[in-house]
Amino acid sequence: MLDFLSEHSGGLCGPSHLKRREFLQVGVLSALGLSLPQMMEAKSKGAVRPGYEDRACILIFNLGGPSQLDLWDMKPDAPAEVRGPFRPIATKSPEIQISEVLPMHAKIADQFSLVRSCHHDGAAVHDAGWQIMQTGRRFTGGVQTPHMGSVAGYLLGTRGDLPPFVVLPELMGRGGGNLPNGQAGGFLGKAHDPFALMADPSKPNFKVPDLLPPDQVGAVRMERRQRMREVVEKALSQFEESEDARLMDEHFHSAFRLMSSEQARRAFDLSQEPDSVRDRYGRNRFGQCCLLARRLIENGVRFVTLNTFLTVFGETTWDIHGSKPFTSIDGMKNVVCPMYDQAYSALIEDLAQRGMLANTMVAALSEFGRTPKVNPAGGRDHWPGCFTVSFAGGGVKGGRVIGKSDPIGGFPAERPVVPGDLVATVFQSLGLEHESHLVGPGGRPYPLVDFGCQPIRELFI
Amino acid sequence: MNGFLRAVFLGLAWWLGAVPVRAAEPREELRVVPDRLELRERGPGSRVTALRFSGGICVGMAEGVRFESSDPRVLEVGPDGELRSRSPGECRVRAYWNQESAETVVRVLDTESDAGWSFVRHVLPVLSKANCNGGGCHGAVAGKGGFRLSLSGYDPAADHLSITREALGRRIECGDPLRSLLLTKPTAAAPHKGGRRLDTGSRDYRLLAEWIAGGAEGPRAAEAALERIEVIPSRWRLPKGGRARLLVQAHYADGRVEDVTRWAKFASTDESLLRLSDSVGGVEVVGYGEGAVTAWFSSRIVMSRVQSPFPAAAAVAGDGPSKTPWRAGNPVDESVRAQLKDLRLEASPLCDDATFLRRIHLDLTGLPPTPEQVLAFLQDPSAGKRDAVIDRLLGSSEYTDYWAYRWSDVFLVNSAYLRPEAVKRYYQWLRGEVERNTPWDQLVRNVLTARGGSLEEGATNFFAVHQEPESMAENVSQAFMGLSINCAKCHNHPLEKWTNDQYYAFANLFARVRAKGWGGDVRSGDGKRTLYNAPMGEVLQPRTGRVLPAAPLDGAPVTPEETRDRREILADWMTAPSNPYFTRTIANRIWAAFFGVGVVNAVDDLRLSNPATNEALMEALCAHLVKHRYDLKELMRMIVQSATYQRSSEVLPANRADGRYFSRYYPRRLMAEVLCDAIGAATGVPEEFSQVQLEDGELRKTEFYPKGTRALQLYDSAVRSYFLRTFGRNARAITCDCERSNQPSVVQALHLSNGSTLNGKLGAKEGAVSALMESAQDWSRMVESVFLRCLSRLPTDAERASYEALFKEVPEPERRSALEDLFWALLTSREFLFQH
Repeated sequence: MLDFLSEHSGGLCGPSHLKRREFLQVGVLSALGLSLPQMMEAKSKGAVRPGYEDRACILIFNLGGPSQLDLWDMKPDAPAEVRGPFRPIATKSPEIQISEVLPMHAKIADQFSLVRSCHHDGAAVHDAGWQIMQTGRRFTGGVQTPHMGSVAGYLLGTRGDLPPFVVLPELMGRGGGNLPNGQAGGFLGKAHDPFALMADPSKPNFKVPDLLPPDQVGAVRMERRQRMREVVEKALSQFEESEDARLMDEHFHSAFRLMSSEQARRAFDLSQEPDSVRDRYGRNRFGQCCLLARRLIENGVRFVTLNTFLTVFGETTWDIHGSKPFTSIDGMKNVVCPMYDQAYSALIEDLAQRGMLANTMVAALSEFGRTPKVNPAGGRDHWPGCFTVSFAGGGVKGGRVIGKSDPIGGFPAERPVVPGDLVATVFQSLGLEHESHLVGPGGRPYPLVDFGCQPIRELFI
Repeated sequence: MNGFLRAVFLGLAWWLGAVPVRAAEPREELRVVPDRLELRERGPGSRVTALRFSGGICVGMAEGVRFESSDPRVLEVGPDGELRSRSPGECRVRAYWNQESAETVVRVLDTESDAGWSFVRHVLPVLSKANCNGGGCHGAVAGKGGFRLSLSGYDPAADHLSITREALGRRIECGDPLRSLLLTKPTAAAPHKGGRRLDTGSRDYRLLAEWIAGGAEGPRAAEAALERIEVIPSRWRLPKGGRARLLVQAHYADGRVEDVTRWAKFASTDESLLRLSDSVGGVEVVGYGEGAVTAWFSSRIVMSRVQSPFPAAAAVAGDGPSKTPWRAGNPVDESVRAQLKDLRLEASPLCDDATFLRRIHLDLTGLPPTPEQVLAFLQDPSAGKRDAVIDRLLGSSEYTDYWAYRWSDVFLVNSAYLRPEAVKRYYQWLRGEVERNTPWDQLVRNVLTARGGSLEEGATNFFAVHQEPESMAENVSQAFMGLSINCAKCHNHPLEKWTNDQYYAFANLFARVRAKGWGGDVRSGDGKRTLYNAPMGEVLQPRTGRVLPAAPLDGAPVTPEETRDRREILADWMTAPSNPYFTRTIANRIWAAFFGVGVVNAVDDLRLSNPATNEALMEALCAHLVKHRYDLKELMRMIVQSATYQRSSEVLPANRADGRYFSRYYPRRLMAEVLCDAIGAATGVPEEFSQVQLEDGELRKTEFYPKGTRALQLYDSAVRSYFLRTFGRNARAITCDCERSNQPSVVQALHLSNGSTLNGKLGAKEGAVSALMESAQDWSRMVESVFLRCLSRLPTDAERASYEALFKEVPEPERRSALEDLFWALLTSREFLFQH
């Protein structure tokens, strides 16, 4: 077992003060762009595999829980109440058949692989699934485990001026279960929370909140402000001996750097893309987020989590209960699928064309699937017993199907896969050793994934 | 009670008198430890050490000592104290060093007539020391490689079964012990994923082999229990580079004492100060300051405290803290001063009046002083003006807001757990207690024994936030005793003394807490809930399926005849001055509120293995609390009146390296709510709060907070605020000081610099900027006003000159934007963002 932080630990639940302090320091360093030594250290302790320095990940989180039976794991021979209204079509991969509502997926099916045997034992509640699927664990005992992007940011640090972990377009909203949704740094600390965009990049006046001064404060005033600030900053020399005060100063400098960073400005500036590209992704929030995700990775972000939707209430989403305020099966077919099909296929094609796909994993996960039988409202309800996720790029060989569900898509029939395995798969692609340890609350060691969880190695062969 | 208190006072008085005197160092004396030793094994292994003591403190090993055995037929002694036993009997070991000598008695047991190796006393400790039953190995819940042991041996019966019976009994081979898997695996003779944990030549290897050969006897029913363990020496003072060797002894109920040094697990509480040079008690001092080494054996833990003086800076050699003022008779100053002298640190001078006024206002009320208060204080010539301000602020309503808010963190006042009306009542109850300055022991008793309706008796909501006996037990011990017992829910606490049985006995104190009415769904219902004490009900210990008599953690079990509410018994035990955790926890919380770091860190981690940086200071704070019957204002007064609190944050050459002995004031970022209110006060535009956000993101309107409500007047941590979240307010999800983060971040810098909070307030039509513009003062007066509002001080001459020069360049139409920019510059400066 690789216990790369253990040299500081007095033991299992040893003195937590020092360690917490230390790892907060490390976190702060990563926010400062001083991450190289940190990554070297993690590497020398065996947590980061050499040769994976340029890996990145885009996690598309399909809020709502797409229906495996209507999209990726069709059962055309099952009774009508199971197979639903759609028909499967052939794809570019002889191994994969996919739903007729995803025609553009069919054309790039040689690029992604499906895992049809995922399941988890969490509650069939959106928020419960969100935390399990994004952190690999259910929160118990008041311990909030970190999002996999936070872990990646913590271990890999930054490349360039941008933060290592970004969430687009906003943090997840309400899920109805009143539970934390796992989209945070958890016990790694706030320093490892994602940088959330909190804006819609498809809007004409799109800009990153707080990245630039308000419009009325132009470059001249900003310069004046900083000159005025320098005068008063000189007053207290003792701040240089205070760690926190020194950090605050460095953060201001990082913020000023980010504000004036050509790289940051460029990364978020979608207007630099030709119209043809923006159109190819789709002129909607999700489409433009996919495009933005690609730009962010190009500019050094290591992990982008892309929430397909913000909530499952009052939005047309994958949550096809069939009744209000949720989505109908037609809503999925007419609104959600075209949008998703277009943007996802655009992203994969674009990454492949730019030669980025080999180093960038695109994982499409969701909190659960849908019930095998269509309900009286013509929809399907929550079902964590079996569902399908997909992986592309980042070393994954496309065009294949891993695992198999039973004849009605209710439970895994072959090679069951749990959320911890999926998280381990992402870590595998990023070059993170899933058996290495993080230091949790009270100094308790936390392996990156729970004991027994393994990457889906077949994907990489 | 009175007798006890008197004893405490007398002890305190004696101690206060004793410390400052500390005349000539007492003469060193030689001691051989342990002073009594029994050996079971033949051959080498155990040892005695000769130590030099001065004034009860060990000051080093005696180098070049000569040992002598009184009977070499029984025992031989090597030059470094290594013992080799020969035959049963008793003999004395005498050490000669310089002109001194000292001796100890060693008894070699007759193994023929002795009862052989005990599973609990010897075999399990061997396995624990080799970490076979560690959390990453066979001690994991699921075991490892099919072999499962209880974590650190908390369940001897199950462990004996696993070792001797499971896997078809292959793990031991009584007829040929050396072929047992229990020996071939850890020695890596057979493939072992955990690697080599034991040497074939070692005493522990022989011990296991002998135990197997003797029939692999299980736990003995009549075996005397372990009463306590002891580490020798328990206190020492050594320079950097010094080395020492610790001994650990186990005291059993039958009076037997065993040397268990080789099975004890040692850990340094501060690796920058103390490093373990081997795994059997060798310690090396590698830094300066005060720290400790803990020794764990069989779920007991002891601490050996170490002091390592800083290198004397040339400027203060031999002089030290005496040059700077101290407040006579102030217990904080007495104990800090004594430690600084021991550690050879110099104290910084007192801070100036403006800094003091801002500091004391922020720390007692969470608000900076107004410009008028600053000017009045600076002009006040009286000598006692600092004390007068302290008294005034302690009596202010802002004090009540601020401390009600801080205690709400501890009590988890949070609409993620309670309905709005209940949150309000819970908060109002707490605020009322703070307003009346209810003594802390009484306040805690009120909440622990609360009963009645949730909307009438606000305190009962504590038991609506925590609805299961287990979570009540965990949160009570965390909130009021600084003890995290959660680990012990599933197994003995791996490095603490709390056992799985103690956990369930403690949880059983809450077994009869019941409620009628609202069930706990925060999204619906009226939140009306009536709490009562049921006449029956027990919590089962799930491992055995039996009921354990309810008992406070270290206390006597509740008798079956007892008819009172068990929580009253808990409250009696909890708030008794003899409870070492209760007083220390609140004292430490209060100290940390004023200094940013606790005397014990982390602030609510008061476990035994976590030493105070200044034990005498901690005791002084506790004694003051007890003396004033838990009147928190009295403790605060004593703290903030001390010179220690009023020091400048200026760094001296002779205290540069100090970060926790309080030789100077340590700057810290203002907490989120204080910062929010301070920005509101400086700009004259308060923040508005109109929504509550539940954990899953659901937004609800709230009308609890009229315009002008300050962040520190919110009941609730769920009130939506981007600013407060970004600056790390306590989310109040669990009782833990670690939930609050005062760590600076880039996002904070971005938000201050570019975000709507500050820029919006600066551009507001009504507010300080507009008012100043209308007042039509000249630039010099403006700069002065802005400094007073933002930094609570007057600008220096250099600052005046710089800003006036900058303003000269500003054309008339840009006057307002330039003024906004000055506000911006001061409000993003560290001097504003930090308490200093």
